[in-house]
Amino acid sequence: MQYSYSFVGLLFAIACAAGLLGALLGIGGGIFLVPAMVLMLHLPMKIAVAASVVSVIATSNAGGSSYVDQRITNLRMGMFLEIFTTVGALSGTILALYLRDWAIQLIFAFMLGYMAYAAFSTRNLDDQRIASGEFARTRPDRFARWLKLRGDYYDEAAKRDVQYVVNGVPIGASIAYLAGIASGLLGVGGGALKVSAMNRYMNVPMKAAVGTSKLMIGVTAAVSSILFFLAGLIHFTVVGPVAVGTTAGATAGTMIMNRLHSTRLKWLFAVLMLYLAYEMLAKGLNTGFQWRLPSAA
Amino acid sequence: MKQHETTQSKRNRPDELNVYADVYNVLLGGMLLSTALFVAAIVKALLRPEFVPLSPQWIKEHYHWSAIVHGIVSFDPTVIMLIATLLLILTPVARVVVSVYAFWVDHDHKFVVITFIVLLVIILTVVLGMFGLT
Repeated sequence: MQYSYSFVGLLFAIACAAGLLGALLGIGGGIFLVPAMVLMLHLPMKIAVAASVVSVIATSNAGGSSYVDQRITNLRMGMFLEIFTTVGALSGTILALYLRDWAIQLIFAFMLGYMAYAAFSTRNLDDQRIASGEFARTRPDRFARWLKLRGDYYDEAAKRDVQYVVNGVPIGASIAYLAGIASGLLGVGGGALKVSAMNRYMNVPMKAAVGTSKLMIGVTAAVSSILFFLAGLIHFTVVGPVAVGTTAGATAGTMIMNRLHSTRLKWLFAVLMLYLAYEMLAKGLNTGFQWRLPSAA
Repeated sequence: MKQHETTQSKRNRPDELNVYADVYNVLLGGMLLSTALFVAAIVKALLRPEFVPLSPQWIKEHYHWSAIVHGIVSFDPTVIMLIATLLLILTPVARVVVSVYAFWVDHDHKFVVITFIVLLVIILTVVLGMFGLT
């Protein structure tokens, strides 16, 4: 294989698409990148995974900076939840040595399935709550009050300032911890779980959850990348076009995300979660019982 | 757009100004610098593709300081991409370090502690990883 225009062009195009979707959904986009690099470009799995993890940082820098600039990100909440995600990632990596993979994969499959259902069943709720101002009227719990976890952003689709009060901090933090475990244990970014946790349990509007998650995943991915870097697994000439592509895609994604209605974002999100749940189920059944379901991963 | 700007300026609470501005600057700086290096290196690599093989074994040969120094001098695309990758990886970590400082300047001591804990967990993970404990 040679470093040709078509190779670099294809890598760039795949990365652009992953960066765009990642910015819309607050996730890293590795779930699109890894299968595409392995199946379309026939790159070895390890090189694809390492390049994907580094590119998550690129999309987090690009998307995260834009959402911070637009004040969609809730920095305090992000910093607070990062404690749980990073500790989760650390314990997940250690747990991976002792636990049976298939059991965890099946648990996550059901959890993701539930999150897909939750996003779908509340698909119109964000727009309704923005219109009625309900996000701002909820009572904060004592952790949210103590940490001053309130927030607001300007919603371009609803054409109004959306204020919200954070609550449900303990359950949100627990899910952020589980998202960290998932990332350490299963090599996924965990962005999807974080967005769900904030939107479903912490009274955070979908877009603020996406913006905050986009910033948070950079730190988790940076830690994994440092470990990959030290192990000599990062192929820099592959990382180059992938990082530039995801940066371009994420920048474009952040320009359109705030203009979309939350209902559309939630549709996209539910489909993604359902796909992830299926992939995880397929993986779990294959590892635990050698039952093979068709799978792209 | 004008309405957007007005609401944004209202939203800039004095207690959060430093953190938002500093985090934005770090992320943007890291992104622009690494992207510029990547683009320059990709262009160079495409002009002389025969010097950029894609075999995984080849990476290991470029993991020496002498190769890196020589690569910078001769603008070896792989070495430039190595440096860009390193910059990219360190950007979120720098963002956390800068946030500790920004929360400190804002006298938000609770969040100085919270952000510092995040930094410690990152360092701990890297140390455990380096010693092969994870």
